[in-house]
Amino acid sequence: MEAERAPGMLRRLVRLWRLYATLDLIWLARDARQALLWSLSDMVTSAAGVAATLLIAERFAGIGPWSRPQVMFLMGYALTVEGILVMFFSNNILHISRRVGRGQLDHILTQPQPIWAAFLTEGFCPFTGSAVLAAGLALLGWATVRLGLAVSPSWAAAAALNLAASTAVALSFSFLWASLAFWAPRAAEEISSSAVDIIVQLKRFPLDGLGPLLRLGLLTCLPAGLTAWLPCRYLLGQARGVWAAAVTPLAGLLFVALAAWAFRKGLEHYGRTGSQRYSSFGHRR
Amino acid sequence: MGGPVLSATLPSGTVVELAGVCKTYRQRQRSERLGDIWRNLLHPEVREVQALRDVSLTIGRGEVVAYAGPNGAGKSTTVKILSSALAPDAGKVRVLGMDPIRDRVRYVGRIGVVFGQRTELWWDHPVAASFEWKRVVWDVARPRYERMLGLVKELLGLNEYWHTLSRELSLGQRMRADLGLALLHEPEILFLDEPTIGLDVLAKRNMLRFIQEVNRERQVTVMLTSHDMAELEQLAGRIVLIDRGHIAFDGPFDRLRRELGDRRHLLIETPNGSPPRARGRALGAQRGRPPRVHL
Repeated sequence: MEAERAPGMLRRLVRLWRLYATLDLIWLARDARQALLWSLSDMVTSAAGVAATLLIAERFAGIGPWSRPQVMFLMGYALTVEGILVMFFSNNILHISRRVGRGQLDHILTQPQPIWAAFLTEGFCPFTGSAVLAAGLALLGWATVRLGLAVSPSWAAAAALNLAASTAVALSFSFLWASLAFWAPRAAEEISSSAVDIIVQLKRFPLDGLGPLLRLGLLTCLPAGLTAWLPCRYLLGQARGVWAAAVTPLAGLLFVALAAWAFRKGLEHYGRTGSQRYSSFGHRR
Repeated sequence: MGGPVLSATLPSGTVVELAGVCKTYRQRQRSERLGDIWRNLLHPEVREVQALRDVSLTIGRGEVVAYAGPNGAGKSTTVKILSSALAPDAGKVRVLGMDPIRDRVRYVGRIGVVFGQRTELWWDHPVAASFEWKRVVWDVARPRYERMLGLVKELLGLNEYWHTLSRELSLGQRMRADLGLALLHEPEILFLDEPTIGLDVLAKRNMLRFIQEVNRERQVTVMLTSHDMAELEQLAGRIVLIDRGHIAFDGPFDRLRRELGDRRHLLIETPNGSPPRARGRALGAQRGRPPRVHL
C-alpha cells in the first residue's frame, strides 16, 4: 500500500473523509439537545473571537490604513483559515503534540496506511467543526460585496490558494513545535495548543503599524502575518505583482517542508525510544 | 558485517524470526538535592536499561506461544517491536518475511495487535462504529468483513452491547470488543500484550477459550504475554520466559516444570556476609555471592 498509486490513494482519502464525516454526524446527532447546544455555543464562541477587532475597527472607523470593510475582510479570512483547521484537523491532529506527548502515536503506527494519510483524514469533522468556517465564509462574502471587489475566476483561485497556504502555515507551525514533544513528552504535551493560540490571537490584526523588525518576526518566526494580513493585502489589491501573489503560497510550501523534516526527525527518535508514558485521554473521543 | 544473521528465507512454517535483538532505554537520573541542580541541568546522570539483550526466537505458523516474565522483563518491548511501534537497536526482526519497520504499511495489514491497557475503540461511539471504522481503514472487503463480523459477534458475544457507547462498557466487554476488532481483517498473527489484565475469572476464561478457538479453527499464530502462568499454560503449548531482557527458557511447559517445578531457591543473607552454617558446615556459599540453598 506504500506504493499505492495516486488515484488509488485519492479514492482511499475520499473513503476515509466520508467515514469520519459519518462518525462526526453520528456523534453530533446522538442527542438533539446536545447538538443544539453544541452548534449554538460554537457560534457564540466564533462571534466572541472576532468581537474585539470589530469593535476597535468600529470605534476608530478602521485600523490604520484599513477601512472597516477591509478589516471585516481580514476577519473573514482569518476566521475561514481557523474554520478549515477546525473542520479538517480536529481530534488532536491540529494539537498533535498531545498525541505525541501522550504516547498515542502507536495507534496510528499500527494502521495499514501512511501516517500522513491518517493526519489528513482522521480530524475531519464537517458537522461539529463547521460553525467557524461558515461564519468566516459569511464574513468574507459580506466584506467582498461591501468592498465591491471584482470576483473573477482568477481572483477566486488566488483566494483559494492563499487560504490553503495560510492553513498550511498554521498547521505546519503547530507540527513544528509539536516535534519537541518527541524529546520532551510531558513538558511539550500542550505546546501545539500554545502555538495555535498565539497564531489565532495575532492573525486578527493588521500589521501595518508595526516596525519592520517586528513585522518580519510576525512573518517568519511567528508567522501570524502569513495566516491573514499578508494574503489579504494581495487579495484586496494593496500589494501587487508576482511576488505579492506568490509569497504566501511559497511560505506555505516552506513551512510544510520544515514541519515535515522536524516531525520526521521526531518520528525517527520515537521509533528508537518509544514512549515511556501513555495516556488514553483524548484518544478517539 | 558481523552480528546476527537471519536465515535467507524463513524456514518453512516459520512466521516470526528474531535474531540477536537488543534494545536499551536511556533514563536520566535526577538528584533531589538542591546542590546538584547544575549537574541535573547540564550533565545529568544517564542510566541505561537493557530491555532486550540478544533475544533470538522463532515462532512457527499456527503456534500459540506464551511470552512470560516479571514486570520490566522486556515483554512489552518485544511486542512493540513486533507491531512496528519500536525499532530494535541491534539485531534482525522478520515477520511473515517482512521487516516490521521498513514494510510497516503492508505488514500491519497482516497482523493483529491488542494491548491490554489500551483500546482501539472509538470512545464516544457505539461499538458498531469502531468495527465500521476498522473495515474502512484496513480496507477489508465486504464479504470478508461480513463473515468475520458474524464470527466475532457470535463467539465473543458482542451482540448484547453492539450499540452501546464504548465508554460505557465494562473492562471485560471492552477487551472482548478490542479482540474482535483485532481479528476483523483475518490477521495471520495475533500479538496480545496482557489481554486479560484486570478481567474477572469468568471473563478471563471466555477470552482464553476464544483465543484457543481462533488458533484451532483459523490457524492464527498467537503470541501472548501475561504474568499469570496458569492462564498461559491453559492456552499455550510453548512458553518463552524472559528475565531482564534475556530469554531464560524456551520450550514446552512440561519441560519447564521438570527443570524448575520441583526446585525452590532460598536466598539467605547474613549480616557480615559469612555463610550460614548448619550442623557445623557452611551452606552453599560462593565467593562474593549470597549463599544459595536448594530445597
